[in-house]
Amino acid sequence: MGKKLSEVLEQSGLSMNFEAGGSAPESMVCREVSDQPSPRAQKLRELYYNTLSSATSEFPYWYTRFHKALDGELPIMRRALALKEAFAHLTPTIYPGELIVMGRTHHYRGSYPMPWLSEGYYMAKEDELHKAAMATGGASADELSKFGTGGGNVTQSFGGVVSLAGKFGMRQEEVPATLRIAREWVNKSVDDVCRKYEKMVPEYPIKESIMRNVVCIMDSGFTLPQGREVINYYYPLQYGFDGIIAICEKRKAEVAGRAGGDGITGMNRLYNYEAIKVVVEGIQAWIENYAKEARRLEELETEPVQKQEYREIAERLEWIAHNPPRNFREAIQLCWTAHLAVLNEDVASGMSPGRMGQILFPYFEQDKEKGAIDDREVLEWLQLQRVKFTCIDVFGSAGVVGGVLSGNTFNNLSMGGLQRNGQPAANELEKLIIEAGKRCVTTQPTLSVMYDEKLPEEFLLRAIECNKTGTGYPAWMNNRNAMDFMMRQYGREGMTVEEARAWSVGGCLESSPGSWYELELNGRKYSIPGGSGQPTSVGVHFLGLPKILELALFDGVDQRTGERVFPAHGKKLETYEELWEQFQDYFRMAVDCLATANNIQHDIWRKQNMSIFTSMLKARWIESGRLIHEMGYKYNGTYNVESCGTVTLVNSLVALKKVVYEDREASLDELKEAIRNNFGFKTAEEVKSYSLADQEKRDESGAYDRIHYLVLSAPKYGNDDRYADVVMQQWEEWFCPMCSEFESLYGLPMYPCQISVSTHAPMGAATVATPDGRLAGTTFSDGSMSAYAGTDRNGPYALFNSATVWDHTMSQNSQMNLKVHPTAIHGLEGSKKLLELTRAYMRKGGFHIQYNVVDSKLLRAAQREQEKYRDLVVRVAGFTQYWCEIGKPIQDEVVARTEYEGM
Amino acid sequence: MNKQLRRHCDCRNYAPVDVVKGICHRTKQLILGDEDQCEQYAQLDKCKYCEHFAAAEEEFMGSCSADAAKPWTYPDLIAITCASFKGRD
Repeated sequence: MGKKLSEVLEQSGLSMNFEAGGSAPESMVCREVSDQPSPRAQKLRELYYNTLSSATSEFPYWYTRFHKALDGELPIMRRALALKEAFAHLTPTIYPGELIVMGRTHHYRGSYPMPWLSEGYYMAKEDELHKAAMATGGASADELSKFGTGGGNVTQSFGGVVSLAGKFGMRQEEVPATLRIAREWVNKSVDDVCRKYEKMVPEYPIKESIMRNVVCIMDSGFTLPQGREVINYYYPLQYGFDGIIAICEKRKAEVAGRAGGDGITGMNRLYNYEAIKVVVEGIQAWIENYAKEARRLEELETEPVQKQEYREIAERLEWIAHNPPRNFREAIQLCWTAHLAVLNEDVASGMSPGRMGQILFPYFEQDKEKGAIDDREVLEWLQLQRVKFTCIDVFGSAGVVGGVLSGNTFNNLSMGGLQRNGQPAANELEKLIIEAGKRCVTTQPTLSVMYDEKLPEEFLLRAIECNKTGTGYPAWMNNRNAMDFMMRQYGREGMTVEEARAWSVGGCLESSPGSWYELELNGRKYSIPGGSGQPTSVGVHFLGLPKILELALFDGVDQRTGERVFPAHGKKLETYEELWEQFQDYFRMAVDCLATANNIQHDIWRKQNMSIFTSMLKARWIESGRLIHEMGYKYNGTYNVESCGTVTLVNSLVALKKVVYEDREASLDELKEAIRNNFGFKTAEEVKSYSLADQEKRDESGAYDRIHYLVLSAPKYGNDDRYADVVMQQWEEWFCPMCSEFESLYGLPMYPCQISVSTHAPMGAATVATPDGRLAGTTFSDGSMSAYAGTDRNGPYALFNSATVWDHTMSQNSQMNLKVHPTAIHGLEGSKKLLELTRAYMRKGGFHIQYNVVDSKLLRAAQREQEKYRDLVVRVAGFTQYWCEIGKPIQDEVVARTEYEGM
Repeated sequence: MNKQLRRHCDCRNYAPVDVVKGICHRTKQLILGDEDQCEQYAQLDKCKYCEHFAAAEEEFMGSCSADAAKPWTYPDLIAITCASFKGRD
């Protein structure tokens, strides 16, 4: 066996397991321990740990059956009526011990396919013709995406259970029905219809080649058309569902047959109000079915406490099915119900609850004043809410759910920030939310602090204490940066500074616009924030920057597949400037064809599959009568260009500049030859692993050792080294403004989004070796501001200096992941150090930082004995996930990150 | 066939946790859905137990005569929310 990459790097003084600022203790150190969950939350979380991701065909069956029967109806009414019947037919399941009830399906961790968006996966299984037609990019991304083998993932079929998309289990007796449902959507799904029209884009062949070769990882119009946004719970909280129906009836009478001065969408208002009414009726029936089930269980139950709890559940549901909530318990149940309804309406990841602690505060405050609830009870309800959120699954293809999301669903709960009047918004309920997150560690909802200098120290320290327990949350986002970005992007749609304060995080770290709403509860008025922007991370969805550099170096030909992606440029690339310009040309070409194709996808989506319930929550529907597809949201300019592998690109450009163009220690042809030969290493396919740690040398000839050493030794981003940082600055100052050259289907300019989520694994898998010395098939750098694993050697403040050489307010976000050894931040002094570190980065203008507080030895132990570490969580890139549910390439990448031993 | 029809997962008091197992509301214990019924079995409304259901030749498929259009359905579709469900004697 040849030498492993780790040995080669060790010999070059570039250890993969680099420890900065000291050395970790020899023995494994655990994280600081917090209190346990309440027994009830513990039991329900334990049940989750033992639950398989389960798919059913119940919702798709009823949706499809009624949609088919309504042929000839208006598209929006056909969809509304089908949704109503699907919601009304969902089977309710309530589990013993639950206080917050309802789920997406009758399974604890349930989900279902929505073939009206895309049925290709099922057809590929049974229909040869369709399979051939689907031999496009999506399949390649699927093939390169790896799920973790542990936890609740059903990666293989067994017994009477069939594995779908490598993650979900479906009972065998439901599979024929699922395939039949899928067949009914052939040539009618959003996917199929938009393929037809996408092909009319002149650049379509380039777009398809880009997708097949995983230069870009996903089409967003029929995969995850909604999400990475913030839900608004205001309307059901203020009016209740009966109140919403009454508003619809009133508005229908006012607008029926009247264009209202708008000759294009004015007449639609009547149908929109009717559609909202119909869907809300379906949701009321769904809630009432749960109430009936609670009543049935109350009858059945013999144990007095459980019997009483079923009675109270029924009473809460019977009330909220029609009325605005009166107290904290009803409000938290209603928010959960609305959240689920959004997720059942469309495929969406990153549907975030937003500033839940500020939204529920009026109920919390008044209940406490009345003595109707105490902190202990609230803490338990918040823990139960965590378990419920963690049970959410998003059903999608392996490429999307595994490759992009790592199985995560990104329900981000934001805290802190500012109130409407500019005062700090952190409150007592948010402190309990943090405490619930510490005690009941789960992946959802992940937490974010919208850091502002005005926030009280005590609140910030509580958040830091939570970080120290190793939860990976809260992440820290710069409030003022986000407000600046809001004004920059949404000013043209009327954003004011006051409204900019209502932003929060959608998805993992997509800053999303919000609005203020006046909530009245028992005669008292509160200004609460709620989401008011369209989905983000739709548009150009993850462009592999190192891959585009590869194409620039090799005249537009993919070196993994041998396929031409871009037209040949025919240049010799004799100067660094010429190379940089060529990279820019190809990048612009990629964004252009992906933007036009995705605009068509989303246009088909909005015509056929518009959201109705989500629109009701978020749009200014009472006043305008317009929904999402008619730009009814307050902020519609949310489409973006997402990048992946920023630092791998920067380090590669730096190595080329230094080794080839300035020092001339190797020629470009020599470096290209070394890249083609993977610097003398076997390919990832040959070693049957895409993990960094598993790569090994092909032979000991040493043909490429010198050039590999030269590029590995070139300056690296993350060390406060001006040579490298100038390249980062050059990239950002070109990339951020160039995104606005492209417009979304709503006629508004796009903007940059710089997060990797998990895409740095499958996109790395599709990319040959890079000029920075990274080997073929291995992960790119994570996030966008994180250093490449093990290359940040001058401490965190040097890393911060490198990361802030550009203005982060030009971008929706940036992403910095830092791994810290538990001993580095031990005790109160350690907490203060970590807070100071965070504050330093925010003050320098960084947008986001998140911490993995963990001993790498623990992660290695968990790789060896996965079954012993079912509850171990880590921070990946914008989200916390169970270690056992992450694919090995990402696991190895997290292990290889620099471990900070001291601050 | 009868044995197939009377599994835990066909019982009204079976709360399905996932595709394999569920919790029995009577005993509060986790049980496997495909195991045989117990003495307290209470039939769960499913299409296969409905008068309107007719099995098709294709396994796991059938049709519903409650609707004039006789739409297709499948035997294990839970029908507790179906207003047309009519249990077979």
